[in-house]
Amino acid sequence: MSDQPGCGPDTMIFLDRVSKRYPDQPHDAVASLSMEIKRGEFVVLVGPSGCGKTTTLRMMNRLVEPSDGRIWIDGKDVTHVDVDHLRRGIGYVIQQIGLLPHLTIAENVSLVPKLLGTNKVKRLRRADELLDMVGLEPSTFAARYPRQLSGGQQQRVGVARALAADPPIMLMDEPFGAVDPIAREKLQMEFLSLQRQIRKTIVLVTHDIDEALLLGDRIAIFGEGSRLAQFDTPLKILTNPADDFVRDFVGAGAAVRRLSLLTVGDVIDRSTPLQDYLQSTVDIHPEESVHRALEQVLAAHAQGIAVTLPGADVRFIALQDLLMAAAQPTVATS
Amino acid sequence: MLLTYLADNALRILFLAQQHAELVLISVGISTVLGIGLALLSESAPRLRQALLSVSGTFLTIPSFALFALMIPILGLGVAPTIVALAIYGIFPILRNTVTGLEGVDAAVIDAAKGVGMGGGRRMLTVVLPLAWPIILNGIRTATIMLVATAAIGAVVRGPGLGELIFRGLARIGGANALNEALSGVIGVVLVALVLDLLFILIAKMTTLRGLHV
Amino acid sequence: MSSVIIARRSVSSDRASVGILPAIVAALVVGVFVYIRVIPLDSIEARSLEVPLILNAVWEHIQLVLVSTLLTITIGVPLGVALTRKGARRIGGLILVGANAGQAIPSIGVLVLLAILFGVGFWMAVIALLVYALLPVLRNTMVGIQQVDRAVIDAGRGMGMSTRQILSTIELPLSIPVMLAGIRVALILNVGVATLAAFTNAGGLGSIISAGIALNRMPVLLVGSVLTIALALSIDWLAGIAERLLRPRGI
Ligand SMILES: Nc1ncnc2c1ncn2[C@@H]1O[C@H](COP(=O)(O)OP(=O)(O)O)[C@@H](O)[C@H]1O
Ligand SMILES: [Mg+2]
Repeated sequence: MSDQPGCGPDTMIFLDRVSKRYPDQPHDAVASLSMEIKRGEFVVLVGPSGCGKTTTLRMMNRLVEPSDGRIWIDGKDVTHVDVDHLRRGIGYVIQQIGLLPHLTIAENVSLVPKLLGTNKVKRLRRADELLDMVGLEPSTFAARYPRQLSGGQQQRVGVARALAADPPIMLMDEPFGAVDPIAREKLQMEFLSLQRQIRKTIVLVTHDIDEALLLGDRIAIFGEGSRLAQFDTPLKILTNPADDFVRDFVGAGAAVRRLSLLTVGDVIDRSTPLQDYLQSTVDIHPEESVHRALEQVLAAHAQGIAVTLPGADVRFIALQDLLMAAAQPTVATS
Repeated sequence: MLLTYLADNALRILFLAQQHAELVLISVGISTVLGIGLALLSESAPRLRQALLSVSGTFLTIPSFALFALMIPILGLGVAPTIVALAIYGIFPILRNTVTGLEGVDAAVIDAAKGVGMGGGRRMLTVVLPLAWPIILNGIRTATIMLVATAAIGAVVRGPGLGELIFRGLARIGGANALNEALSGVIGVVLVALVLDLLFILIAKMTTLRGLHV
Repeated sequence: MSSVIIARRSVSSDRASVGILPAIVAALVVGVFVYIRVIPLDSIEARSLEVPLILNAVWEHIQLVLVSTLLTITIGVPLGVALTRKGARRIGGLILVGANAGQAIPSIGVLVLLAILFGVGFWMAVIALLVYALLPVLRNTMVGIQQVDRAVIDAGRGMGMSTRQILSTIELPLSIPVMLAGIRVALILNVGVATLAAFTNAGGLGSIISAGIALNRMPVLLVGSVLTIALALSIDWLAGIAERLLRPRGI
């Protein structure tokens, strides 16, 4: 079953010229889209409203059936897989969350294991584990009903529910869209660190370019009619936008945003040996982002940063050079 | 068969239908005065308002035959007990919709009316009631349709209207015209309901403030 | 009528009426029995108001209501569910429109027409009650299922629930409150229409009332009417409690 083109052993999801036209619609919602998503990759689909992101995502678990083209997941053509079985192996998180209001949090979280026939004791133990994982104290939350939780807490449950059967793939449609901005940022950061532990293949839809830049290993920027304008790492998208559409979409402040993505280690070639700047530097770890480093330099009224490289080699980067990292593309390893 | 019966008895059936409609409209008139009146009276007494809604709503659970019969010792047979019983049933939908309508008026509009110096009574008459009117009218319409059907039972207390035909059909089961009589009574009731419903649609069109038309 | 009664639900299910209603019912029943003990009855009245006769009428009434309501649920709920399934939705909409218009038909008319066409008696009355009370159950089952949050169904589909599992774990439980409201309305309608069943020889409390009217005996009429009201109020009260108990937690 590996006769599909462009599809290697580490390919998790492969869309081959997929199209979707809804009944009675004049245009394709998604038109001949091809994409390859690797195992363990966090891919964000981003683009203006109505460009077909949700449709693309929902074709992956066949909540929407493609009109044309083929979709391969883990080396299998999804149209040949039993649809309920397919979906039980793919976590699905939506903006409206869709918790079952008449079931407790623990019952909601153990729905998929129940569908898969896991016994009750195991299910409930797993539910506790999952609630812990998403930062909800099981003894407090397991027996509650969804409406007794805040929006942010409900979305944590939504994520826990999707993770319940430990699916290799998670599809997430604007999962943090309905949460207030402060809670959203917290959820994003926590989700990112969760992903570092669990290493799922994640496809996340958002219309928020900042969220995309923050979360994605790679970002697919959609134009009108699901034209794939650029599919690349956040850094490449910021430094080498494929066209004016991408440039406009990424928008103002792209340069400064880049600083959040670069680590100090990435810009070490701008350094000079640490000589007589010693009084006027801030010590920074090479893994720290340039953005954070700048903030600390400015806060301390220092002239630059001191970076201790492996092998105890201490280097100095001047404030000016740190700033310039925003303007000039650096050959960064990502 | 039915058609010949209808042709032979057209005048009588039309007369009964007219009676039926009049009976309902008089009753609904009383329900409307009571419903809107009680809603206005309880304007600043939410608990009283809740109690009124509760009581008038509970009247709807009372079987109509029992309520009609209960009127006999007090009012005797005929038109009066029928009208009183129907008017009691009609209160709830009108009261409820009036309350909903009044509570639905935008607080900013009321503030503005206060701001230009309108007193309470005047504000109610010129601002609040006109804005709530479409909802109130809909309550009156609902009450009317409900009462058209209920009024058919009025015949058990010798009330006027099409119920008479239905009960005559019942009394002559097995007889030649039983079905025709009952059927023309039932169809007549449905037609009266239809006509009154259309009438209300018309009234709604004519009396709703222009700005409120969607 | 049924749409008005449905609207009633939201106001009358408050706590106050829960406590007051049984007291009113008790007062009515006790009052009736004291009344017929206290006032002088002539022989006709005495015969019409013998206690076993009254209890029999109450029992007949309850049977009419219970049997017809159970049948209404048995037919109305599955039919309502079926009419919300893919492919039947259009028919479902049409049926609702037709059924709503059917509300204009007076209950006594249904009862009498059925009696003329098919005969009289208990089962004929049950059928009339059933026909009349089916609408609220059918309508509320359909509305109950249609109002289920699309996002919850979408989440269910997304996690791999089959259509049947979605029906049993999402759609049915979440439509229970609306369905129960419809069933309660059917119950109220049935208590009322069953009173009229006396006219088609199906017994019930209506027969005491109509005897009172026919014999021109006010005590008989009063006892019949007051007991009917007491029965209607207590059945509605019980239905209200059942409604609260059966509603799934968390909604
Ligand atoms: N069920 C549907 N029926 C018809 N058209 C739809 C349906 N769902 C989405 N569309 C249309 O398809 C296009 C893409 O929609 P969607 O995938 O939801 O976009 P996005 O998620 O990027 O906002 C839009 O023009 C939308 O109106
Ligand atoms: Mg979308």
